[in-house]
Amino acid sequence: MRIRAALVLALVAPVALAADRSPTLADYRYYRALSIDLLGRPPTSAELAAFEKPDFDLDAWIDNHLTGDAYAERLERIYMDALRLDLGNSFQFVPNPVVLRRETVLGPDGQPLYIYYRRGQRRTDPKIDGDFCLTQAESGLQFPPNAAPTGSATPVSQEALDVRTVVVKPWWLYADYREHEPTDFAGADWPKRFPGFVPAPALLVEPDNKTRTTSVRVCREEAQTADTGIVYASGRKPAKKGDPLPFGRLNQPPNDTGFARLAKGRAISCLSGTGFQNSVDCGCGVGLERCMPGAGPQNDPPSFVMSAKTPLGADLPFDANAQPASAWARSWWSEEARHFLDKIFVDDRDFREVLLSHGTEVNGPLAQFYRFIANATCCGAGADAGYTRPDPLVDPGVVPDALVPEDTATWLPIVDRGPHASGILTMPIFLTKYGSRRARAHVLYNAFLCKDFVAETVKLAPSDDPDLTKRPGCSTCHQTLEPMAAYFTRVAESDWTWLPATQFPMTQPKCAGPKASGLCKQIYDPAFDKLRGAYAAPAHADAGPAGLAQDIATAPEFAPCVVETVAQSLLGRPLAPEDDAWKTELSKVFVDAGYRMKALVRAIVRSPRYRDANDVKP
Amino acid sequence: MKPLALALLTACTAQTLAPSSPQPLPAPSASMIDTTPKARRRMVPPEVYLRAYLTWFGGLAPLNVQNRARPKGLFDAWDDYLAALGLPDYKIDLPRQTQSNTLMLATLGRLGEALCVRAAEHDLHAQNGKLPVDQRVVFTFDVNDDFAASLDVLHRTFLGYPLRLAPPDRLERFHTLFTQVAARHAGAKQPLSADETAWAAVCTALVQHPEAELY
Repeated sequence: MRIRAALVLALVAPVALAADRSPTLADYRYYRALSIDLLGRPPTSAELAAFEKPDFDLDAWIDNHLTGDAYAERLERIYMDALRLDLGNSFQFVPNPVVLRRETVLGPDGQPLYIYYRRGQRRTDPKIDGDFCLTQAESGLQFPPNAAPTGSATPVSQEALDVRTVVVKPWWLYADYREHEPTDFAGADWPKRFPGFVPAPALLVEPDNKTRTTSVRVCREEAQTADTGIVYASGRKPAKKGDPLPFGRLNQPPNDTGFARLAKGRAISCLSGTGFQNSVDCGCGVGLERCMPGAGPQNDPPSFVMSAKTPLGADLPFDANAQPASAWARSWWSEEARHFLDKIFVDDRDFREVLLSHGTEVNGPLAQFYRFIANATCCGAGADAGYTRPDPLVDPGVVPDALVPEDTATWLPIVDRGPHASGILTMPIFLTKYGSRRARAHVLYNAFLCKDFVAETVKLAPSDDPDLTKRPGCSTCHQTLEPMAAYFTRVAESDWTWLPATQFPMTQPKCAGPKASGLCKQIYDPAFDKLRGAYAAPAHADAGPAGLAQDIATAPEFAPCVVETVAQSLLGRPLAPEDDAWKTELSKVFVDAGYRMKALVRAIVRSPRYRDANDVKP
Repeated sequence: MKPLALALLTACTAQTLAPSSPQPLPAPSASMIDTTPKARRRMVPPEVYLRAYLTWFGGLAPLNVQNRARPKGLFDAWDDYLAALGLPDYKIDLPRQTQSNTLMLATLGRLGEALCVRAAEHDLHAQNGKLPVDQRVVFTFDVNDDFAASLDVLHRTFLGYPLRLAPPDRLERFHTLFTQVAARHAGAKQPLSADETAWAAVCTALVQHPEAELY
């Protein structure tokens, strides 16, 4: 066994295996630990045989394995453990502009027929405005939200069906759905081409549970493909409490928004929630690509067969069940963060990119999300304040349009997501996992500066001071936390909607005082007459998350924190005071290498400490 | 306990007992305190253990493992075990378990046992033991080989080093295990022969060995 000579600092010097002798038990255990950390598993018999050969070069072996999927996964695990970037079912992402629900009616031949629709879809006919597109008179049914239809179904006439609905070849059945005549139908080769993309079985068969679905029937408005619509206002007077429900409806038709009344007849983008809410021209786009299918009328109907348990990555699922589209979205948001981290480790990029990078990589589902779905949450009541065109955290224009939504396997880079982008800080998974400004700041403080907030022991004096940086008992932590949290002032809580300064200046005179509107109170804090969350550091609000990322990445604690986090994980124990000199040396190695993990991990795994940390004696 | 019980009984009566000098407490027969060192013993991450299983037992996918281990009640579904294995669940902020626990070890052991039995069925029992060695998954040796040589193959697979470097009594202990299991199953009507069952037991013992579960 030969170990290549290397010039290293004394404190990170490799543990040389003696030349010209068989490996000792300690050598085997060391090699096993290296395999566990760099290959993700113990060595195979063949690898052991190679290790035992006299010309085996362990240094070269280490260098060769400081890259690749297993190495990346090992490091990714460290930061995923710290950041926990995944969301459970309690976070439901079910925006009405996106979810195509499905009702069952009787077709003209008396046989059951599926029709897809969006709840809240604006339609000119007040009988069906904001609701399913067939009236009770046409179908014999009423369609309560999140529940099965009520009434006695009668066959829908062909005329009503032709007027109200159209047939579409949707994206989840055709990979070439953008073609005039799609032909690339979901077939036997799809599992190989699009691994992990499996529509729920109920989406693939007609109501008889036998006939394969080759196209879907959709309400006419939902099938529209225009990017731009015209602002629509019905002119109806808002219904009052107690008014009778018209046209056999189960609810009142939607009211015109303040924005619609003001902007009636003006053009509006269909790629935002505002377009959906205020236009009858905005549909799900070509092949319904702006929408997610659901096999039922419920709130979050099943959409895709997928795994809820993927501890070894999405390609090695531990279960497979039909899940709603919201679970599909959440899982790809999480995958984006994992993929982003992996890429940094595999390519051995500057680790500060985890906070600072403007780029990311996306696959088909993420490309669909950023192009068509992310802006569905914008802009709600903000439209009344003039905010109708989302200022996105990922510019849809930079998302590769070559990716079709079912293409789970192809990941393409986005070099610059947009002016507000900043590493994981502006990814949907981070912004939704940590919904509040303070939670976002706290986890970053903890994961990247290795610090935590510990309250001082003080006698609490009664106080209603809204300024937590001053309130006794709160100030110790909040003096640090509030200015950090202020960097997230312009990112809506539990969402990714950016609040631009043009529409939302730091102070808004009309929002001052106790008589401010509900929208004002939502966005402005009357205690400080400032944007909510900004009071402790207004300048931080405009710097945005990128400002916080810069602060953290340039903090003197950043590199030692990375060293401590990675070393602790690889050694399997906390660093002790006697490790301080070693930690300092490792920090130097890390910084001198341009904040690259490869140099740091190499120094750790070649150190005597690492070898001694894995000293199980038989 | 007896003097105390007697004292309680007598307390209920009007009888008085003459005072006596206190007697020393009897020495406990067994220490209930686990004094084995813990600080430096650490489990390999559960992800690694899962990957190890997938590798050891023939490059399986997790759902294949479940299907393979499930028959005959040896294993249920991953869902029942993943949390016990110590995996974190970021969805519900369940942190990674860094210390082993009995549930975890029982789960790993049960899974290892199931897969060892399946491997014995595939490698040793199928084709009456005539399956070529290069087509075997775990028992990649000729059953007619010397026991030590065969054990060495398994020892290297599961523990990562040759048997000759193990404590001197290891060979003997495993041989005893083998012969006892084989003797216990001699003539029994079951899918595996006595020797095949004994090899499955050796495999299980190695998979469950602390050296396989620790770094």
